[in-house]
Amino acid sequence: MSAIGSMITKSDVVPLAPMRRPLADSRLTFVSTAGVQPIGTLPFDVVHPVGDYTFRRVPSSATPADLEIHQLKYPTDGAHRDLNVIFPIERLQELARENVVGGLTQDFFSFIGYNMDPDLLERTLAEDLARAVADEQADLALLAPA
Amino acid sequence: MTEHIKPLRAVFVPFRMGHHFGVPFHVNAQRRIIAEALDFVRTATHSGQILDLLRWADLRREGAQIEKQQKS
Repeated sequence: MSAIGSMITKSDVVPLAPMRRPLADSRLTFVSTAGVQPIGTLPFDVVHPVGDYTFRRVPSSATPADLEIHQLKYPTDGAHRDLNVIFPIERLQELARENVVGGLTQDFFSFIGYNMDPDLLERTLAEDLARAVADEQADLALLAPA
Repeated sequence: MTEHIKPLRAVFVPFRMGHHFGVPFHVNAQRRIIAEALDFVRTATHSGQILDLLRWADLRREGAQIEKQQKS
């Protein structure tokens, strides 16, 4: 399958996975390409020509002051004023406190979206991340690009 | 691009890069985007469905008003 103007195509459709339990009983995780990471953790390699295929764990209990952004490929002016505009950690914490969701996984996940080798991404980062999310026993995941 | 990738469920938001949950300090909008996305997990009828949501111009105006109030 090909599409004019895009290198990204996928011919197969993954069937919908139904919710296994009500939202209020479900554990939510968050996966972001925003390059958000706890201060003091190894910075993403934002200048590597083919990208950085690692991810960072972000404690779901963290505050925006605990976190920093290592990413050059999107405008961060809004995020530097209010991180929730790209990594809505405080909003997700509120939803858990209010029992809108059953809870949050211990960690959220972040990586950088600049990865120029989709095969390598699929074999490494995607597999590693999927395993980490499954280990956190997440019932559903909110994924957000940056 | 979302149509090409075919995620099971997706919410399309009309914001510029780096601002996918709306505008800074607009708590209600940030919450609404998340709430709509989570609700869509339940209401989506077929794989690959994309939910259109919100108008950027409206939220930008509201966000500017919120920041103005914070400074006053």
